[in-house]
Order: sequence, then C-alpha cells, then structure tokens
Amino acid sequence: MGVFTGLITGILFGIVLQRGRLCFNSAIRDLRMFKDNYLWKAVMLGIAVEALLFHFMAQVGWIHLNPKPFMPVGNIIGGLLFGFGMVLAGGCASGVTYRSGEGLTTAWLAAIFYGLFATASKSGFLKPVVDFLHGPAYKVETTGGLYVEGKTGPTIANTLHMNPWIPAIIFSALLLWYVFGTKTTERSGKGFNWVATGILVALVGGLGYYTSAHFGGRTYPLGITGGWISIFKTFTGGKLSWEGAEVLGIIIGAFIAAAASKEFKIRMPRNPKAYLQVLVGGAFLGIGAVTAGGCNIGHFFSGVPHLAWGSLLATVFFIIGNWTMAYWMYGRR
Amino acid sequence: MADVKVDKTLDVRGEVCPVPDVETKRALKKMESGQVLEVLIDYPLSKERIPANVQKEGHEVLAIEEIGNSEWRILIRKK
Repeated sequence: MGVFTGLITGILFGIVLQRGRLCFNSAIRDLRMFKDNYLWKAVMLGIAVEALLFHFMAQVGWIHLNPKPFMPVGNIIGGLLFGFGMVLAGGCASGVTYRSGEGLTTAWLAAIFYGLFATASKSGFLKPVVDFLHGPAYKVETTGGLYVEGKTGPTIANTLHMNPWIPAIIFSALLLWYVFGTKTTERSGKGFNWVATGILVALVGGLGYYTSAHFGGRTYPLGITGGWISIFKTFTGGKLSWEGAEVLGIIIGAFIAAAASKEFKIRMPRNPKAYLQVLVGGAFLGIGAVTAGGCNIGHFFSGVPHLAWGSLLATVFFIIGNWTMAYWMYGRR
Repeated sequence: MADVKVDKTLDVRGEVCPVPDVETKRALKKMESGQVLEVLIDYPLSKERIPANVQKEGHEVLAIEEIGNSEWRILIRKK
C-alpha cells in the first residue's frame, strides 16, 4: 500500500510538473535573470495553499505536522551547493526527475548522478564529509497539538509558543496578496497556467502528506532526495519506500503527460560538453541536498509551508546559490 | 510566414535549460534592427518563455511553427 500510494501520488505530481513546466531552478533564476515571475508565482501560490491545507489537515486530525530539524550549518552550506547544482544540472531535484520522463538525456544523467551522490552522502563514501558539513541539528519538544508528539523541527509557531494558525494565516495572506496583487509575466502555451499549476501541485502535496503518513511509514509531504536514495538502495537489497515509489511515479506521470501532448522526445545536446556539466551539477545536487537535509521539494516546497526555520534558511541559500551560479554561467558580459 | 527572409539561424535543440533563452538573447543583441532571427527549439518551456521574453524587450515574434515532433521554429524580428 505504501508503494502503491507513493506511485499514485508521484504520477499525479509528474503530470502537474510537466504540464505546468514547474521547474524551481527556472522559477528562481527567471525572477532575476529575465525579470520573469511566471513560474515563481506558481511556486508561491502552491506554498500559500499548502500552508493553509497542511494546518487544516492537522487540525482535523488527518496528519500531525512534522517539520524538518534546524541545522544552521548544513542548511547554509548544503543550500548553497544545491543552488549551484541546479544551475549546472539544468534543473532542480524535481526538475531533472520530471524532465527525465520528457526524454531529456541531460536530465537522465543529472538525475542518476544526483541519486548516486545523495546515496554516497547519506550512507556511502561521502558520509564522513557530509556529516562534518551538516553540523548540529536542533529539534524542539512539543506537547502534541497540531504537531507530532515528542521532538520535531522548530517552526516560527513552536519556538514562539503561539498557535500555529497565526503565522500560517499571516504568511499565506502575504503570499496571496503578492501573487494576485502584483503584475504577472504573460505567457501563452499549451500547458497549465500558473494559477492551476500552483493549486494542483499544493493538492498533490496534501495527498502526499496524507498517504505517506498513513501508508508510507513517513510523516511528511512530498520529497525527492530520499526517494532517489531508496531507488539506488534497492540495487543492494533495500526495499522501495513510499518516497522511492513517488519518484518513479513522477517519471511515469511526466512521460504520460508529455507523450499525450506530443512533447516527448529523446533530446540530445549537440555539444557533448553539456553532459559533463550536468554530471557535475547532479553531484552537487546530491551532496547539497543531503547536507542541507532536503532539496527544493523537501525544504522549499514542503518545509516552508510549515514555517520551519531550517527550511526557510535552506531556501534562502538555494536562491543565493542559484543566482550566483546563474550569473557566473549566463549573466556575465 | 515561410517567405520571411531569415538573417540568422540559431539551433538550440537539445540544449540544457536556459541555454536556448540565453543564446537567443545574445544573438538578438548582435543583430541589426529589422533583421530576422530563426530559433530552432525542442524544449516546451523555452518555446513558451522565449516569445514572452523577447516581446517584453520590444522585439516582434513573427511566427511559432511546429516543424516536427516536439520541435518548433520561432521567427523574431529585432526592434
């Protein structure tokens, strides 16, 4: 049931990512490089909806909120490495995963290296280095309520001892005011528009939280890094986890969506140097995600709606890393 | 739109995101006003983003034609 619900969640996620062209690398970079906020707004709307949805789901007892721990050193160093990696790899964790399903050969290599280096960082030859880089991890004691019982990651609400709804509502209201109250870059095409993309991807996030908590043995919304690690561990006798099945589902869902809209094609760059670049990028993504304790989906898309300090900090450094590398690669002259 | 005289062709099929967008911007910068740039592309996100961004900069998008399975040809006239 864990694998099945993970797969279904992943397929839906893959369809939305492909039809919405929802790449976080593009969303972050375009904001600065092309002064284009189209995808950024889809992400911000998704996070605003998720913040309300997750707290609602916890309020009615479907889930308990389980934010990630705060690891200041790891969030910063890993965040930067991951930010560099997404530019080099031509996509973030979810980006290289869904584009693999569209037939992008550069994404295949980036995704494989991302998974391999994440596995090596988690439990292989890079583990000592990554353990050193990610420094101490802090959790707080909770008395239950909307949160899981016992220790969980610190959030704005549980460190300031306030009702979690207060920061969640203020945060969502600010984001909603931003996404609907400011000018959005125009875009026409066959895909979902940014409003549909943002709402649908948030609903998939809620589905993921519910199914992983009830069937997957893991209380958290969507994730990518842990899923790739699980897939690589099956080669050495590991069992495929909910998250591993979700990642496979993303590739399948993106393939179905791309094939149905005649956007599937095996794409190869003319200059083979691009392959080398994405391999380096994939390695940075893997090491960065494990050091930071999460990727753009685990931290940015799933952790920020909890208003978890670690996810907020990692996200800031994903953005700084992305802008720095994008400027160095494409912005100069 | 096939009868438009193309001054420069940019083939960015298969390139990593955002190389097609960046190369288009750079090619336009080097061209003379009124000249036409042809961009060959196979990446859906850039196919939608390039026309939006060049229009924002004041260039004219003459056509977006499908030339094959997930392959497009974008014609842009420099302002």
